[in-house]
Amino acid sequence: MNFRRCLSLLLVAVAGVTAVATPLTDLFNERLKSVVAVEFFVQDELERHPVGVQGTVIDTAGTIILPPASILPAVSPGQLKDFKVYQPGSTDAANAVYLGQDPLTGWHFIRVEERLRSQLVPITNYPAIKGDPALSEELWGIGLRNRDESFMPYFLSGRVALITRLPQKTAILGNEVAGPGLPVFNSTGQLAGIAQTSFGQSYLLFSRNQNGNPVLLVNVEESSVVLLADEVLPYLGRIPRSVTGRPIAWLGAYGLQPLDPEVAKLLKLENQSGVVLSDIMEGSPAAAAGLKERDIVLALDGQPLPRLKPDHVVPGFFGQEIVRHQPGDTIALTVLRDGNRQEIKVRLGDEPKLPREAERHYFERLGLTVREFLASDGITQRIKPSEQTGVIAQFVKPGGPVGTAGLQPDDWVREIDGVEIKTYEQALNQLHDIDAGKQRPEVVLLVSRGGETSVLRVKLN
Amino acid sequence: MRRLTITGLALFVLAGAAEAAMSRGFNRLLEAVVRIDVREITFEDGAQRFTGGIGSGVIISADGLILTNAHVASPSAVEISVTLASLERVSARLVGWDHWTDLAVLRLDLDEVRRRKLSFTSADFGDSSELYSGQTVYAVGTPYGLTRTLTRGIISNNNRPFEDKRGVNGYETGLFNTWLQTDAAINPGNSGGPLVTEEGKVIGINSRAYIGAENLGFAIPSNIARRVSTELVLHGTITRSYLGLVPRELQDLEKFYALAVNTGMLVDGVDPGSPAARAGLRPSDVVLTLNGQKLDGRFPEQLPPIQNAIASLPVGSTVRLGVKRGGQTLELSAVTEKLESWVGAEWAFEKWGLSVRKVSRAYARENQLTDDSGVIVLGVQPGYPAAEAGLARGDIITKVGSEPVRELDRLKAIYSNYEAKPEPQLIEAQRNRRISLYVIKP
Repeated sequence: MNFRRCLSLLLVAVAGVTAVATPLTDLFNERLKSVVAVEFFVQDELERHPVGVQGTVIDTAGTIILPPASILPAVSPGQLKDFKVYQPGSTDAANAVYLGQDPLTGWHFIRVEERLRSQLVPITNYPAIKGDPALSEELWGIGLRNRDESFMPYFLSGRVALITRLPQKTAILGNEVAGPGLPVFNSTGQLAGIAQTSFGQSYLLFSRNQNGNPVLLVNVEESSVVLLADEVLPYLGRIPRSVTGRPIAWLGAYGLQPLDPEVAKLLKLENQSGVVLSDIMEGSPAAAAGLKERDIVLALDGQPLPRLKPDHVVPGFFGQEIVRHQPGDTIALTVLRDGNRQEIKVRLGDEPKLPREAERHYFERLGLTVREFLASDGITQRIKPSEQTGVIAQFVKPGGPVGTAGLQPDDWVREIDGVEIKTYEQALNQLHDIDAGKQRPEVVLLVSRGGETSVLRVKLN
Repeated sequence: MRRLTITGLALFVLAGAAEAAMSRGFNRLLEAVVRIDVREITFEDGAQRFTGGIGSGVIISADGLILTNAHVASPSAVEISVTLASLERVSARLVGWDHWTDLAVLRLDLDEVRRRKLSFTSADFGDSSELYSGQTVYAVGTPYGLTRTLTRGIISNNNRPFEDKRGVNGYETGLFNTWLQTDAAINPGNSGGPLVTEEGKVIGINSRAYIGAENLGFAIPSNIARRVSTELVLHGTITRSYLGLVPRELQDLEKFYALAVNTGMLVDGVDPGSPAARAGLRPSDVVLTLNGQKLDGRFPEQLPPIQNAIASLPVGSTVRLGVKRGGQTLELSAVTEKLESWVGAEWAFEKWGLSVRKVSRAYARENQLTDDSGVIVLGVQPGYPAAEAGLARGDIITKVGSEPVRELDRLKAIYSNYEAKPEPQLIEAQRNRRISLYVIKP
């Protein structure tokens, strides 16, 4: 951090002393109008957590995209508060609203208030590079300092080291080229892509008590990974129609595992890959279509699954191809089952409620937030949809009554005071009564964790 | 100055009295304590390897039976040698082991003893039920290989519950008995040695201690050791019944469950698919009676005897459980199964650099597997075909080619075909219920 602080100060100093504008200086200053710093809060049961990220302006309506990792998956849109947008070098905050997350790209969309819009320029205003940038080509981008330095912009550049599909076409540069979520350009100012969240880098740590232990470091302020323009521009129109990002197409097959090249070779699958379906959810479109555990998907709508590196990119590719569709679409899967190929048509459904959409409620006296049991909990708890009852502990206040009794987040609460929880509403009613009953000394919960059940006694006073 | 002298004198006299009492039986006991060196086979890291260990034991019969810990001598021992008090080494074999009580019985090679004209004495058991807290006891054994070390302490607690699901070389222990707790110094290598009274009577078999704590040692009471060793000599093993309920003390919950005092045992969990689950028992039920007998499980130390009562029933017998569930009282009946460890049979496939363990019913239940088919990867050797294929510790192999691998023998047969004619093998394995395919290449 210190190094970069010095570097940025040095840049300022150099600029101050020489003051010779290059063509890049002009391009840099012009493109600053397409980048913003974004701050917001995540409100949880006890406190607000400030979050600072960076975003790119995509249209004249003040729409801004933020990287997928800006918001954790279980955070509900209702918890997101006070979006503020800042231009580089400015502390003037403009308000913004959260529009939702696109299920395909993972981008979060926000829209800034009217008054700032005229000062912003969408990245679509600049021409994009035709095709891919060349290997070794130098690209540059913008980094933004923190709020205490007024989001001061600085120049970054690097050369293209590798272009690969992850599964989208991605350029990896020799060093950091832009803040994650900010655009990257070539020497003539053409758009090359948008910097993604940085990859972790392995280092060896030598210290008095650690002798060369490997550690993984992630640079959260700058990135050397660039999603290429061809993977960005066609998707900028995917502004969510709802804050939940719906509609989202759903297959209902889980635990997708790639085939490694040796396995593909043994199965005589030349130059293509496949994914093994580990788990088919009862009642899902996949189950209705007759897909089975252990089926190996070889092709989707006649297109063989490509061989991508590393292997685990293939299930990611397959998952994205599903999400490209709409609920109600019919897809054709070519599967290998017991050595025979067969084609199975699946009519995609609507993705069941996601953790961020789940109903939840915080009970202050208990120090507990419960949320409804979701289809995804059925996968982790290994419970068939027909047997799903109870509620999930979404949040447990450290040192609070249920926390002291040993309840942990993600525990599955199945009985309250000896009464089986059949519905979320029933749990709410019971917990409301308990939360309100000041005289009540204790409550007894039956809880499951990792297949093991335990009776917890919660002292309330 | 004067007072000091008197104190010193008093101590001297006391010590003298203790020595007099000890001298009779105690020397005989010391003659019966042995050091045990074990070479055993392990299947970690993708290969069959040999490791060595040192423990202690006590000779309990004139025909050379030795009592020790199950974690000292187990069926994986390939060579057991015993050092007698006379410092002569004699080989011994395993008669039987019981990891649940951490006990094993060995027999000295009597032919060798006779041929070499060696002699030994045997120790006498005392009655562990008569022990009281504060009673002076001695531990004899081989801590850290220091042969014939004698330490002294008192009984700190004569009824300590202590359950460890991985306690005896990865096997379960302590569910069916309570332990003697002592502050006599017990260190690694003391294991299997006797805890004795001043008269030299064996009242416990030293088994474990909290490492890093000061003088918190635990021994199996002699009354349990006697019963277990008798059965091991007769049958080589101990057969127990299994119901599949996880009990918990009712302590402080009596009021919540509206129970009369001194009754009931809380059901904390029910193993899926177990006899208790099939009988309809549910977690948070309170078991009031077992085959008509009232149960008192209010405190943790009361649970092992209850567990033992269930385990002691004949396998396949019907158990009637009087159960309180909310306001209602039910009578459920379950048929016991044979108790099995979660540790299954182990094997190594040397050319693949792969060691495995059979999935047991208990393992399948704990890990929410559909059934007990398949073998778990214990380890892979780097650079060998299994590791190159991408298999790793914890994977469960369920299929090779088109052949399901339910049992370990199936995989052994496939392996011997491979040895005769090495060809690439397509392996299906799962981890966290994700199914992956691997190729083992010659």
